[in-house]
Amino acid sequence: MNLADGVQIVSFVVLAAMMLGGALGVVLLDNIVYSAFLLGFVFISMSGMYILLNAAFVAAAQVLIYVGAVNVLILFGIMLVNKRQDFAPVPKAWLGKAATGLVCVGLFVLLGAMVLATPWSLSTLTPIGDGALVAIGKHFFTDFLLPFELASVLLLMAMIGAIVLARRDFLPGELAEPDETVLTLPERPRELVSSKK
Amino acid sequence: MDFANLAAQLNAGTILPEGIVIITLLTVLLGDLIAGRAASRWTPYFAIGGLLSAIVALYFQWNNPTPNGFLGGFNADDLSIVFRGIVALSASVTLLLSVRYVEQSGTPLGEFIVILLTATLGGMFLSGADELVMVFVSLETLSIASYLLTGYMKRDPRSNEAALKYLLIGAASSAIFLYGVSLLYGLSGGETRLSQITTNLLANNANESIGVVIALVFVIAGIAFKIAAVPFHQWTPDVYEGSPTPVVAFLSVGSKAAGFALAIRLLVNAFPMVSEQWHFVMTALALLSMVLGNVVALAQGSMKRMLAYSSIGQAGFVMIGLIIGTDAGYASMVFYLMVYLFMNLGGFACVILFTLRTGTDEITEYSGLYQKDPLLTLCLSICLLSLGGIPPLAGFFGKIYLFWAGWQAGAYWLVLIGLLTSVVSIYYYIRVVKMMVVKEPEEMSEAVKNYPAISWTAFGMRPLQVGLIVCLVATSLAGILSNPLFNLANNSVTGTPLLQSSVIQPARPVMLQSSKTLDEASVLEAHL
Amino acid sequence: MMQLQYFLIVAAALFCIGIYGLVTSRNAIRVLMSIELLLNSVNLNLMAFSNFLDPQGIRGQVFTVFVITIAAAEAAVGLAIVLSIYRNRDTVDMEQFNLLKW
Repeated sequence: MNLADGVQIVSFVVLAAMMLGGALGVVLLDNIVYSAFLLGFVFISMSGMYILLNAAFVAAAQVLIYVGAVNVLILFGIMLVNKRQDFAPVPKAWLGKAATGLVCVGLFVLLGAMVLATPWSLSTLTPIGDGALVAIGKHFFTDFLLPFELASVLLLMAMIGAIVLARRDFLPGELAEPDETVLTLPERPRELVSSKK
Repeated sequence: MDFANLAAQLNAGTILPEGIVIITLLTVLLGDLIAGRAASRWTPYFAIGGLLSAIVALYFQWNNPTPNGFLGGFNADDLSIVFRGIVALSASVTLLLSVRYVEQSGTPLGEFIVILLTATLGGMFLSGADELVMVFVSLETLSIASYLLTGYMKRDPRSNEAALKYLLIGAASSAIFLYGVSLLYGLSGGETRLSQITTNLLANNANESIGVVIALVFVIAGIAFKIAAVPFHQWTPDVYEGSPTPVVAFLSVGSKAAGFALAIRLLVNAFPMVSEQWHFVMTALALLSMVLGNVVALAQGSMKRMLAYSSIGQAGFVMIGLIIGTDAGYASMVFYLMVYLFMNLGGFACVILFTLRTGTDEITEYSGLYQKDPLLTLCLSICLLSLGGIPPLAGFFGKIYLFWAGWQAGAYWLVLIGLLTSVVSIYYYIRVVKMMVVKEPEEMSEAVKNYPAISWTAFGMRPLQVGLIVCLVATSLAGILSNPLFNLANNSVTGTPLLQSSVIQPARPVMLQSSKTLDEASVLEAHL
Repeated sequence: MMQLQYFLIVAAALFCIGIYGLVTSRNAIRVLMSIELLLNSVNLNLMAFSNFLDPQGIRGQVFTVFVITIAAAEAAVGLAIVLSIYRNRDTVDMEQFNLLKW
């Protein structure tokens, strides 16, 4: 084993440990703010993995978008709904968690066995490396042109929709007389219907 | 590769209908932005006009000699045209139904139309997507737009809750679907075009591996979520109850049709070597959907929830056509979806109208409606009876064709369960009809007693009336004059190369393996 | 020498952790985070396949860029929905969201 391989293996092990540890923290820790920061940690280790896989551009995109946008967005979300509340404990919750854990371990064993048993048709070509940026650009404007353009419509719609849903409306006449029926479904809730009988 | 050469290779004319929808969408958005609330006078009609011209453009693409566009990313074959037409038509009828509903709830109409058109666009692209990335992006366009539409009544906790549940379950199922897709990409040695995946899998000797089966299971989980097959249906009743009713109408027809198009294309194209496994899984899903959907619908008190469970059951019937995989099977599936479009949207049009006039959707509140509003009663009765499959309405012929195709192909159990459960379904549809028609005047419910005078003059009531009449006429006439629809469905299947090669597909891999099954295959071929 | 299987196994582990978080979390925002974990495991799968099986075509890298884009859109929409439900219900506890029950 030469030096390059050794460095690769070591950094892979470190990154994998960071990533899986962080991911476990995200799902297991009680404090949601810690979870959010650990999620950023997972994203950063993931971009390290991409560098090991000869994909510098996607690694940069991962940091910019996941850490810079998604993670910050999630932190904002946590701050906006920031209410210190302890969820009322559900009886026998550990039973459900243990069962889920078992199922997940089983799933992992299954997927792991599949990964090891499958004869992957490894390619002998050398990775494109730093030419990846050009190759990705070419893909975007040839065979992936259609999804690329559709993604622009999707992002436009997601932006409009998120604004419509998250915006606080000051409806005309709201201050004078709060009108309960506005912006709600016209159907009465079922509780009201049944209590009237 | 120079530009002119590339433009010729892209064959961009294949997405002309979608282009029309995009232009409509942007015009509505800009018009709404510039003119403000005043724009709601014309935007819905403009959007409907755009969708109808997209359908006209689809008509001119029929039997396109070069259906492949965007270097294999999009396939505009006849099957995709039929499904894109169904999605676009369901969106235009939904728009007719939603003008008054959205106006009355006080939410902005312009954005609603934009999001609905984006969902339509996603559904249309999904029907023709022929490449994994395209499948994913169009699927997510449809899904994210649906989450937003579900939560559109943002002051209503039920609508919020429905949107949250739909988003979380939907995003999880699409992530699982995506994991399956990533395995498919790996097993095929780095191929994303659906038509090439099978060839590559065979070349890589990966066709027998457990990886393909796992990929299949994950992919089916994603598809079954979209078509709301049991046991991936849990979101359906909650989302149907909590969403604005026109959105439910679109989800139950347009989104489901796009899901079926995806199912046909993905399963037939990419998984022929595990066709036994996927037929088994889909059979189980179809049986469960038919039984559970129709039985649980019996116990529902809310009309929207009842229609939700009924739509689960109906999806089970449609899956019969997919499972048997013969020409007649696919054609009956397309035919049933076309008929289902009108009868289900007609049913929802009536539910919307009743809700707008009385503010409730409890089934018991419908009692005695005949005395006050005969037109609504007639329309709802015809649509529900058609959904139940009472002759001579459209739904009867749809079901007969499905069951006949199933019987021909030897799927006796599926057909028998289908017949039994459709008898059960007739019971709960008739219950509503009986409630409306038979009751004496003194048994009238509170809501019907206080029924407002019938007036179609308020803003947005005319389109609702038009939508109601269109669905009523189509449902009652499509049964008797079903021949054009029938021919359309048949031609769409016989004109699609993908399905034509798949119909004899069971014979081909078998021949490579053993001579015993070869005999069966030749018998099968002689039978066909 | 690095092997494809290492990456795939790490991705599978991340996927299972994501599934666990998805099922057991009671905070709606934590469920969104679990979905991000799932999408990241898919991305790792795609990138590994892209590097080892498709090193010149790198379609997997392109696919990953699309997944990242759409994950961001999904997160934005998800948080908008969480925000609007929080305004009406004053909680993000999944167990409390039971207005709609069969």
